[in-house]
Amino acid sequence: MRVVVMRTNLKEGLGAVERAGGENLNLPVLKYANLEALDGKIKLTATNLELAITYYLSGKTIEKGKVNVPIATFASLIGNLQSERINLEKRGGQLEVKTDNYEAFTQTLPAEDFPIIPKVKNEQDFLEIEAGLFKDALAQVLVATQFSDLRPELNSLLLDFSLDALRLVGTDSFRLAEKTLGAAQFNSKYTQSFRVLIPLRTAQELMRILREDGQLRIYHDQNQILFKTDQWEIISRLSEGNFPEYSTIVPKKFTAEAVVKREELMNALKLAGIFSSQTSEVKIKAAQGARALEIYSASRDVGENRYLLPAKIQSEFGEVGFNWRYLFDGLKVLKLEEVWLGVNEEENKPSLIRSPKEASYFYILMPILKT
Amino acid sequence: MDLNQLWQLTLSEMEVQLSRASFATWLKNSQLVDKREGIFYIALPNNFAKEWIENKYQKNILGIIRNFDSSARKLEFIVTNQEPKALTRKQVEVDFNKLDTQAGLDLVKIDPDTNLNPRYTLDSFIVGASNELAHAAASAIVHEVGSKYNPFFIYGGVGLGKTHLIQAIGNEIKNYYKGKLRPKYVSSEKFTSDVVWAIRNKRMEDMKKKYRDCDVLIIDDIQFIGGKEKTEEEFFHTFNALYENNKQIIISSDRPPQSIPTLEERLRSRFDGGLTADISYPEYEMRVAIIKNRLQISNRQLPDHVIDLVANSIKRNIRELEGVLNKILFYQEKKGTEIDKKTAQEIIEKSTQSFLGRITDDQILKAVADFYHTEVPNLIGRSRKKEMVEPRQVAMYLLRDILRMSYPYIGEKLGRDHTTVIHSFEKINQEINKNSPFNQKIIMIKESLYNKNQ
Repeated sequence: MRVVVMRTNLKEGLGAVERAGGENLNLPVLKYANLEALDGKIKLTATNLELAITYYLSGKTIEKGKVNVPIATFASLIGNLQSERINLEKRGGQLEVKTDNYEAFTQTLPAEDFPIIPKVKNEQDFLEIEAGLFKDALAQVLVATQFSDLRPELNSLLLDFSLDALRLVGTDSFRLAEKTLGAAQFNSKYTQSFRVLIPLRTAQELMRILREDGQLRIYHDQNQILFKTDQWEIISRLSEGNFPEYSTIVPKKFTAEAVVKREELMNALKLAGIFSSQTSEVKIKAAQGARALEIYSASRDVGENRYLLPAKIQSEFGEVGFNWRYLFDGLKVLKLEEVWLGVNEEENKPSLIRSPKEASYFYILMPILKT
Repeated sequence: MDLNQLWQLTLSEMEVQLSRASFATWLKNSQLVDKREGIFYIALPNNFAKEWIENKYQKNILGIIRNFDSSARKLEFIVTNQEPKALTRKQVEVDFNKLDTQAGLDLVKIDPDTNLNPRYTLDSFIVGASNELAHAAASAIVHEVGSKYNPFFIYGGVGLGKTHLIQAIGNEIKNYYKGKLRPKYVSSEKFTSDVVWAIRNKRMEDMKKKYRDCDVLIIDDIQFIGGKEKTEEEFFHTFNALYENNKQIIISSDRPPQSIPTLEERLRSRFDGGLTADISYPEYEMRVAIIKNRLQISNRQLPDHVIDLVANSIKRNIRELEGVLNKILFYQEKKGTEIDKKTAQEIIEKSTQSFLGRITDDQILKAVADFYHTEVPNLIGRSRKKEMVEPRQVAMYLLRDILRMSYPYIGEKLGRDHTTVIHSFEKINQEINKNSPFNQKIIMIKESLYNKNQ
């Protein structure tokens, strides 16, 4: 195998696949990426046996072939090189990395040892969607998730396709976010609806690697899902289990509804966060005859503070405590000037954040229990 | 030779042929699940394993299987779901602590109007001598809501099925009257927090309306409202309002109304006005029936001697019984082979001990002394006063029952002969089974012990 490749291309490719490589004590080859020289392009693959990322980068192939390179070593080596043109050549069990004034030999593993990347069975049916649009949708629901050993069934995103709409849902049982994309926003070759669970790790990798431009295609079969663009592919297992039926917990009635400036509220929360105690609790209530939101936090060790934020509130409501980070997360991903808040004062009833104008996205969160 | 054995043999041959790393990665979590017309179906944990084995090991595996079973013609690989990782107890505890105050979304399917969990039904409630009365009353109430047994007060120890029974009544009523009657289930803790909320927000009227606007009010663990005056008062009024309108009231507690020390007299007398039924410890046959029922529901098997072992080791708590059963089943499934007696014994011991590990003999003596309003030296002393006899025997019983101490050691501890200890233990043991108020005493002492140790 022998190729000439531009440093920036190679670096970008390595960056894309790097995190798929796994720490697997049983199988050392998983710490390696498979580098394959094809006609006019170079293919890089890494996997942890749950998901695999394949990235195509342009380069000049002089002699075809493939080799496994250690991801960590190779990535820091390429990252620190100064020259633009890099020659890669396989020599025996080693890979020679060569520029005008630098030369290195890294250990490799035989290419046959690399896992075979599975394929999805159904390649006819797929969804096609603008990459940037999907990236934003992912960001909006991923924000409501976190890894939990307690509830493994929540360590995934729900992708719910119902012919005329595509829904993404994420929850960590304290908050839940749902994003709906309408039929105009994607193309579908499917004739049947489906619901699948994307593992969180896969969704995070996807989010990291997605760019704003270009089209993304989504394929799936019984237990795998494939995300594909011109430049890369991510194939992953699907999560098993049942996503909770969440429709009944989405609140429909609220104690009070308010419209506030998003950035101002975020700023208020950041300030209040400084004084919140270990539970990250900030308290919110209507003030000044329902013309302002009062954001209050106190901690015995630090002190207390109070922030008055002008808002359009439709009725008075009493104090509700939230984890300010959870509330902040919901605001952070709504890229709007104003947000609509539906507050539920009662304990054990969630509150809701969405756009004042439409409901394609909502984020619900539970209060902190009163003691 | 069954499929499991065949696969174990195949795996041990493959293990020799492959490197340890390859074997562990690709074949370890595999299973031979079926054979039909010469096709052997092998389940693998993921698609990577499937691709790899199909491409690299297919021939070898088929060859090995043929040696054992000449009908083998072809292999089919299928991908099945993998089990979620099991957690250690410690990890779980850490996680729970962190989430102490943050409320969670209700992702279990609980009916938001009634708060009832549809999982509980009268059909799935297993009836035996110990809960016959309670069950019969529950069935009667469904057909004559509000008139026959009102209020219905049910009591019994931890994990014996009180919550199951009262939720089942609610569910049955809901289904039987097709929504015409509205049941409402609350824990007494929720009731208390609603009262607190209403006081703080000056919304008492909302709260009153909420609770008086139902046809069947079910309150779980009523003993917890004892001593909270305002909550008790509010509950008293709610109780009266419902009772006067012939609405059904169903209450559960871990002890009879007379034994809830902090409960006000006027509430107590009202609880006594309807029907009081107790659920006591399940007898052996019932425990076996429960285990068999659970196995049937989850469609799994256990050898009879293991069922017998579980039923004999856990006598006083059905929830614990189910917990241990789940552990054994989980272990059996992980292993892929039938569990043997010794392992089952170990699992049982581990799960019953972890809870008691922190209780010491001195704590038991102290708890008994406190309960009978006396001092530890009196228990140990030589006094043969009548007042000291029962506490002393109870102490001996608990030392034996909870800590499994030897009779001679207990004797030494309390300055008595070991035969006296044996006699006491047996006497108390008999009393517990036939004398319900006495049993309550023992439960209360045990609770005070466990609560201190949490």
